[in-house]
Formats: sequence, C-alpha cells, structure tokens
Amino acid sequence: MKFTFAPEARPLDGYTIKRAIHRGGFGEVYYALSDAGKEVALKLLNNNLEIELRGVTQCLNLKHQNLVTIFDIRQDEDNDHWVVMEYVSGRGLYETLRDYPKGMPVQEVLNWMTGITAGLSFLHDRGIVHRDLKPANVFRDHNAIKVGDVGLSKYISESRRSAQTQSVGTVYYMAPEVARGRYGREVDVYALGIMLYEMITGTVPFDGQTTAEILMKHLTADPDVSVLPKKLRPVISAALEKDPDKRTKTVEEVDRQFRLAVAGENISAPVPLTAFASAAPVQSVDAQRRSHEDTVVDIEIHPERTTETNATKNAITSLGTYWSALPAPLQWVIGGAVALLVIESGMLRPVAVGGMIGGAAYLGYQLLTTFTREGQPVEHGTPTNGEPPPPQRTNQPAMAKDARPARQLPPAELAKKYRPAVYTPATARTISRRQRATDVSTSVSMSLAAAALVTTAVYFTTDLLADVAQAVYFGTITMLAAWTLIVPSKLWEGRSGDSFSRRIVLGGLGLGVGLVAALLPKYLLIDRTALFRGNSSAHEYILGRVNMADGSGFPTIACFMLFFAALFSVRRWWWQIDSFRKSRFRVSSALFTLLMGVIVASVLQQYAFPDSLGATWALAISAVVQLSAGWTPPEDRRLWPLNSPPQPSADATPQQMVNREVTSLTQA
Amino acid sequence: MNGSACRKYMLWIDGVGAWQLCVGESFVIGAPSLDHESADIALLANVSRKHATIQRNSTEWRLYAHQPTSVSGRTIADSGVLRSGDQICLAERVKLGFRTPCALSSSAVIDFESDHRPSHSLDGIILLADHCLLGPRRDHHVWCSEWPEMVVVFHQDGELRCRSKAALSIDGHIVCDAGLLRHGSVLTSEGLRFRVEQVE
Repeated sequence: MKFTFAPEARPLDGYTIKRAIHRGGFGEVYYALSDAGKEVALKLLNNNLEIELRGVTQCLNLKHQNLVTIFDIRQDEDNDHWVVMEYVSGRGLYETLRDYPKGMPVQEVLNWMTGITAGLSFLHDRGIVHRDLKPANVFRDHNAIKVGDVGLSKYISESRRSAQTQSVGTVYYMAPEVARGRYGREVDVYALGIMLYEMITGTVPFDGQTTAEILMKHLTADPDVSVLPKKLRPVISAALEKDPDKRTKTVEEVDRQFRLAVAGENISAPVPLTAFASAAPVQSVDAQRRSHEDTVVDIEIHPERTTETNATKNAITSLGTYWSALPAPLQWVIGGAVALLVIESGMLRPVAVGGMIGGAAYLGYQLLTTFTREGQPVEHGTPTNGEPPPPQRTNQPAMAKDARPARQLPPAELAKKYRPAVYTPATARTISRRQRATDVSTSVSMSLAAAALVTTAVYFTTDLLADVAQAVYFGTITMLAAWTLIVPSKLWEGRSGDSFSRRIVLGGLGLGVGLVAALLPKYLLIDRTALFRGNSSAHEYILGRVNMADGSGFPTIACFMLFFAALFSVRRWWWQIDSFRKSRFRVSSALFTLLMGVIVASVLQQYAFPDSLGATWALAISAVVQLSAGWTPPEDRRLWPLNSPPQPSADATPQQMVNREVTSLTQA
Repeated sequence: MNGSACRKYMLWIDGVGAWQLCVGESFVIGAPSLDHESADIALLANVSRKHATIQRNSTEWRLYAHQPTSVSGRTIADSGVLRSGDQICLAERVKLGFRTPCALSSSAVIDFESDHRPSHSLDGIILLADHCLLGPRRDHHVWCSEWPEMVVVFHQDGELRCRSKAALSIDGHIVCDAGLLRHGSVLTSEGLRFRVEQVE
C-alpha cells in the first residue's frame, strides 16, 4: 500500500502525521497527533473531482456517541481538503467479521446492531441518509460502536458516480434502488439488513465476480435466508425487500424485530450461530478473497441455485483457467506432446511458419504498443474531453523528516480491501457512439501497419511468398480479413449477443473475403502456380452445384469462400478484438487460431486448397487483429465512460446493463 | 527489577497500527508518573506506579506482583510463571493479555483486554526477548495481514536491527543484510512502511 504522506509530514499546520491508517473509498486516512498530543484521524479528500462539501458542513456539528465526530474541515497549501476527525482505535466491524468467517454469536451481533441503529436513527431523525453504510465504516472504540463517514456519503456517492470506479466492496451493501438514483433512508435499512445477514452467517447474501453481477443479484435474486435461524428469516427478508416501499421502514424497526426474534430463543442452536467461539479465529477463504483479491473465479455460495447455464459457464471458465493453473513443467510436457503430434501429422510446415510469424509479431509488439498508446485517443476509462488521465500513484519512497512529498492525485477509488472486479469481453458496458467510432477507426488504421508488419515478417522469414506481388496479395487479404473482423466486433463490444448468431454473421462476411481472395490474384497478375503450389490431386469435385475443385489443381472460388467462412466462424474473433481482452497480444490465442486454421485448411486441402497459405493466414489475421484492435489495460477498465455517469436516459440504464451482463455471462 | 534497563521504541506501522517495543530483561507495569520515571508499560489506570514486573529468565517469563495482581484467576502472592494465553489482572480492573504467538521466538506480546491504555493509542506491546516478527501470519507478533513478506526485528549490540527476505530500504537506502533502525528511521519495502521512534 502506498500513501502520499510520509510519517512526520505536516500537511496541516498543527498536526503531525504518525502513520497511515488505510486508504478508504475516496481518500487516504492518517493517524496524526496535534502539537499538544491530541490523537486525530486526518482524511484527505481527493480533489481531482468536484467537491461537494455542503453535506459535510451540514454534519459538522452533529454530536452522537455512535457517530464518529468530525472536528473540522481544513485546506492545505495545495488547496486539498482534509477532514479532521475523531480517531477511533480498536477493531472495526470489517476486521471483526474477518475473525468470524462463519458468523458471530448473537450477543455480538446485538452489540453492533444497537450502536449502528442508534447512530443511524439519529441521522435519519435529522433527515440525513448515510448512503454508504458498510462494515468498513463501522468502528468500535472500546465498547462504543461508531458509524463513520457521516455527511461524506453524498460526496462519496457523487465522486463514485463521476469516477465510475465502483469496486466490488462498495456494492455488497448497495440497495437496488440506488441504481436508479434513489437515495432514501431505505438504502440504510437495506445496508443494515445486509450487514446483519453477514454478521450472522459470515458471508454477504449477494456475492459475485463483477460489480454488475452483484448489482444484478441485488436487483433480481432473493437472498438465501435458509442459512439463517428460522425466526430471523422474515426480519432479514423484510429488510432486504427489493422494493423500498415494501421494505422495513426504519432501522429502529429492524432492530426491534431482530430483538423480538432472538429474545427467548436458544441462540446457540442454529448452525450459523454455533460456529463462533473458536479460540483462534481463522480467516475464511471467502473473507480473504473479498479482502484481498476479487480476481479469482467466483465460486457460487449456494451451489443448489446454480443453473445449468451457470454450470456450463463455470465448466468452460475452469477449463480456460486450467491451463494457467498447470505447473510449468507439465505445460512443457503437454506442449511437447502437441508438437510431436503436429510433426507426425505433417503439419510441421504451417506450424513452423506460424511460429515464426508469431515471434515476429511479438517482437513488433513493443514498438506497436508505444505507437498505439499515443495513437489511441480514446480508451475506455480515459477522459474523452482531452483531459489528461489521472496520474497513477507511483512508489513513494521514504521521505526525509518534515519533507513535503510531491503530491500525486490518488486514484478515486482504490479501496484498501477491495480491488476492482475482473472485466472480460463478456462484461456488458456502455460505450458512447463517439468512443466506438474512434475505436473502430483507430483499430482499422492500426491494422494497416500491423498487416504490413506481419506480411513483412512472413515474406522474410518464410519462402511462402515468392515475390513482392504475392506479398502484396497476402497482406491485402490479411488486412481485409482483419477489417472485416474488427468492424463488427467493435460494434458488438460491450453489448450482449449470442455467440452463434455472431459466428453466422462473421461466417457470412468470410464468404466475401474468400471471394476477394479468389479473384484478386487475377488482377494482381500473380502466378497462381507459384502461389498456390497446385495440389497434385487434380480430380474434379462438385458438391451440389458448387464446384469445389475444378481439376486444374488450383482452388476454386467456392473453396476460398468456404475457407474464410469457416475460419471466421470457428473462433470467437470478437474476444480477440475486444478492449477488455486479457492482454493486448496473447500468443496462446494466436496459436489456437493457427491450429483452427490448420484444421480448416487441411480439410480443404483435398480440394487443392493451399494448406500452408491458409494456416499462415489464420495466424496472420489473429496477430493483426490483436495488434491493432484497441485494448484497455485492466486497471483502466470501467463499465461507464468516465465523464458520463449512468443516467436513466443514457445509452443504457443500470438495469439494462445488468440484464446484458446476465445474458453475456450465460453466453460466455 | 528496575525499568530503567528497558529501552522503548514505538513502531508506527502504516495500515496496521502503533506498537511499543520494549527491549530489556524486566519490564515494569504501572501508572505513568509526572515526577518520577514512568513504568515501562505505563497505563492510565488506577494502579500503582510500580504495580508488577514481568521478567524473562532463561526459559520462562515470570510475573512479580508488587501490588494485588492475578494471572488467569490465580492470585500472585510473590511471583508466578506466565504462559501464552494468560490474562494478567491488575487491581481487579485492568486486564492485559499475555501471549508468545510464535513458536520460534520467546518474545511476548501484551494485549489490552480492558479499556485501559497508555496515554496515547497503542495496539499492543512487544516484550523483545530475542527477535520479533512482523508479518502476514497470525502467529507473527504483529499481524500485518496485507504485507507480502515478514520483517524480523532484533536487538544486537545495543541496537535495533531488522532483516527480511524482501528488499528493504531504510530512509531511502537499500539494506543489504541487516539494517540498523535508529530513532526516526523509516523502513520501506514493497507494500509496507513503518517508522521507528525511540521513546525517552
């Protein structure tokens, strides 16, 4: 964890920072001592966003034993705002939950709930909604429970909406209506309900791999209350009601119902409640996952709810992750076996050619990256109006005593415990028209350079292309194929759509590319004998009305069309082109495409189709599309464009996005 | 059995907390004093200035009671052995946890179990016997859950030093083997940072 200020720094006159406490949702928090020795927490508000401090000012003089007291709001020399507030020692609810991975004893839950309810009730009574209630915002100083970030919540929610950097951690407790921009006190009731559920069972009711997945569950899924003690089920269910109008009205009511349900109850009887009392509390895998990494593949909490589609999805995902999970030596063994198979089956030549192209393409990768980074005016998540992107925090070396560190704007949301979710090409997201158009045009123009590079590599490293005219032919077809794949894929990006129909569309476009590939040699006056190395099997083959082989030893137009149609439909090309693909250039992806090309070409070989050329094309196209298609580094991935927060009237409402996410996930 | 032999340090650990490190053979527990030397473990509590002393012998930790003290319910008349997991109770109200979390080290950790604390917030006190471990495991003396690697702090030739598998730097200088921790030293490594202060 890196922090802007070093120990002993004095950003505000009168206070000396002793240590960093944590990095919260919207800024860094430090433990500091005043010159007289008073302990305070200093919260640095990110200033790269428009500040809404009125909410904080309103709450500045609120006093309640269950609220973290705000002493003052100050500005430092750099005009950054700091909230000076009460330092709360002791373990917060977040840490305490980690100690009880299977749920807390009821008495403990009651202690927390009493404090939270009193604090919230005080706020609600004054017309203030907390909006950002979560375990990381609830503290315990000795025996006093204190709710923090009061009055900052408006600031938080505003900044979060504009920064579009919601991390998974912030949505676990988010009421469904928040997606529609409704922030009544019911959102606090909902958050309290989620926290109670988590305190009792040790897990949140709605978990998922991505923010959108969790949001979707908030919107659509019913919480699994079967793991709760029977009498508590209706209480939690009512607090977690989707419709805010049907939800339990007040936090006091939740508190009252909860007490009533557990009163007289043998509270140690239900399974989740007996799990406590281990002398050495352990950290559950689940808690660890939520606390450290949200990048692992999600495991369903309630397997019985897993639908068949989900099961298939998981199977595919696990298959995909399986390879990377294999130990490196085993990967070599398997790789070797595949290589042997390739050699034995006479595929050595196309694979070798492919390997060389892949290597050459990879060598050119660094060069291209530099170029594309500059040449790509719009990447998802970077500002669209020409503002420089927020600088990334760099390693802050230890600073000399009293040294004023060079200020760097911290990322808006780099929550300590939660990391952003994994976004894949299947993640539904909003991409503005302008952004999409720029992306398409950049990718298409980039593919010119990439196709030239790859063709040059093929020309110089293999004897596949005899002269410059052949190289021009190869390059032209590669580029045309890349364009044909990039344009629809970029149009599909972020949208849901089923794989089958996309494959059909690409296959159809492949027919066109095949037609051009078959006719172009005539216009370029290319010696077909040299290029296609006419297959010796010169017998005619007519399939229905289609002449697959005319006996001349050269492939027919139909043969070309079939090749490209097949090549375009056997791979999910849009995954190689999507901005959210795993990495800009994946050798494995290119090699798999090569393998597919080899298979398709070798099937068509009997109709005099040049197998080496076909396989090389497959690899070259894959290399070109990956090198040229716009790519967003994982850390910059956002679900919405930075400067246009989701509006109900915008391109898509959160609800629609969530629906899309569901669809795309089930298709993935 | 005088606290004067004890050297005290504060470890201000980013993202973790404030820990007091006591180096010596015996450690006095008592109330702070404005006129006299304060106890090594000085608690804002209604206890005597020199209420009890924890001492390390070659193989064990012993508690010497100077005022009413009990250990895990047993009243200590003169002295008693401390075992990991014991609760020390001073003047009936002040409760301290005693543990030696790490099997590889005899250094002990004092936790605050009642709400009595020193005059400023502390997360715990380490009584350094040989070395203490700050790291990502729960059986380290200071549990730093987010740290990628453990840091060993030890006392050698009258000075505090540290060592780690991770590349450490102290005040910006890279540490090759064992780094010397002076008053005001800031130790940094990938994902961790703490400052050492010697307490007078």
